[in-house]
Amino acid sequence: MADVAFLAEFVDGHPTRSALELAAGAAELAAAAGGEAVGLAYGPGAADGAAGMGAAGAARVVVLDSAAAPAVTVAGPLVEAVRAAAPAAVLAPATPNGRDLAAVLVGSLGLPAFGPVRAVHMEGGAVRCEMSTLQGAMITASLPAPSAPATSVVLVSAGTYVPAEGGSGKAAVSQAPAADSPQAKVRIVETAAESAAIAALEEAEIIVAGGRGVGSEAGFEALNQLAAALGGAVGASRAAADAGWVPYQLQIGQTGKVVKPALYLAVGISGAIQHRVGMQAAEHVVAINRDPDAPIGEFADLFVVGDLFEIVPRLTAEIERRKGA
Amino acid sequence: MKIVVCVKQVPATTAEKRYTSELRLDRAATEAVINPLDEYAIEQALRLKEGSVVDEVVYLSMGPDSASEALRRSLAMGGDGGVLVTDPALAGADEWVTARVLAAALDRLEPDVTLMGMASDDARGSLVPGAVAAIRGVPLLAYGAELRLTDGAAQIRRLNPTGFDILEAPLPVVASVTDQVGEPRYASLKGIMAARRMELTTWSLADLGFDPADLAPLTQVVAADPPPAKPPAQVISGVGPDEAASRVADWLAERKLIA
Repeated sequence: MADVAFLAEFVDGHPTRSALELAAGAAELAAAAGGEAVGLAYGPGAADGAAGMGAAGAARVVVLDSAAAPAVTVAGPLVEAVRAAAPAAVLAPATPNGRDLAAVLVGSLGLPAFGPVRAVHMEGGAVRCEMSTLQGAMITASLPAPSAPATSVVLVSAGTYVPAEGGSGKAAVSQAPAADSPQAKVRIVETAAESAAIAALEEAEIIVAGGRGVGSEAGFEALNQLAAALGGAVGASRAAADAGWVPYQLQIGQTGKVVKPALYLAVGISGAIQHRVGMQAAEHVVAINRDPDAPIGEFADLFVVGDLFEIVPRLTAEIERRKGA
Repeated sequence: MKIVVCVKQVPATTAEKRYTSELRLDRAATEAVINPLDEYAIEQALRLKEGSVVDEVVYLSMGPDSASEALRRSLAMGGDGGVLVTDPALAGADEWVTARVLAAALDRLEPDVTLMGMASDDARGSLVPGAVAAIRGVPLLAYGAELRLTDGAAQIRRLNPTGFDILEAPLPVVASVTDQVGEPRYASLKGIMAARRMELTTWSLADLGFDPADLAPLTQVVAADPPPAKPPAQVISGVGPDEAASRVADWLAERKLIA
């Protein structure tokens, strides 16, 4: 019997999408291990929203802190809570905040670490993790070594689990004891909002992503319209973000977001390997590119060779027309 | 002020990668380069040195003997010294082992800032900076789009969901930076020649006070296979834009991606 814990980040009293996904994942793994899903909650309003995580799959929630401080500052109570709960695994989102906490946990307690994983299973009370490594060149399966501590830290990519819907019930909530850590010295000295509203790409079922071929900030307007027609969000390659055509929050790839939508439309994106690692888990990939030899053709399902400026507006109009029909 | 930049030698992005019979990456058989994302950390450190904020930039790498090449390539960009931790017992090191060994080397080098790239090309956990920070008991400032140093403190600019935050912590710190810090410089011929003559420091596990038996990896790879081949793309080419748009819409509709 082993419990499975997960990091649950809160913003303004509400769990983030990653918290809901990981709750579903932890519940699934805990059921396989004969234990319970345990939330480790932090962020503004975590104490208020903790009980509600029961509907998402958590049997218990330990509130680490509810302050509006950098996530890494909860490292002290996190380490103590994991030590006390001794779960078979701690699932962490593969986000900067999630990785900060996972890494400090690994370094503080000397734990085996995995991920970002594409799948996790329980085998004999321990995790078996499948990962895509070497930029997608290999799929590996890993286990904790026989001599390793019983708790594994597992980074989980966005979209690996689907949040439970229509759940009910309240999780048992407890407050983690305060514990000091060098990470408590990190503070936010300034915050700037550059863009009023940026869609959360990790949550989008459809993404229309633009690259160098889009050519300008104005060029992205056609992509915005296509995304709106499809009910999706706009993303970008590093080239487009570096050029300043879109904010960096929309960048997809090795140094940006890793996404897993049902449909990924790559527009004017050549398809460098660094971009590929950010979107290779998409279910369907459609590429529109002028260059018939663009590498994106190697991992697209549908490859349209042509001028994006001519095709994208027509595709938007065609989709709108069919919706109206 | 002293910065130690950790650099990792990785297989070139375009190189063929193979696993050995022990399910470890066959590093000997693979063309190796400095992890491309570490070059941004090097660039950030050298800019701080040029701005007279930092006096000394030293590179630290852990890997086989051949990783000394990564140190020389780093030094060719600039910097003052290189340390290689190498030991046959380190083959197959995982994040925990890597972090412990780097932390032990850093205990000797005593930098104000330990700087790393945001991830490595050959694994994507990005856990080593934070694990090193925890082992050394210093604050972590990860994913900086820029690193600034002030009197006694370090700051990073870090993206948040709608803008950015400035995070600050007192020195010493472990920091990592992203590819937004600015394009890494090319090594000059003069730099390459100077780096070739520079004396590198080499430490074994025994030099760092480790018994290799205490450094067993906590994880084990039990299978490694190439991903399943993807069927070739269906191609729409040589048709007008109206026809192309209509066919894409048909394709999407067939898969119920549009109504």
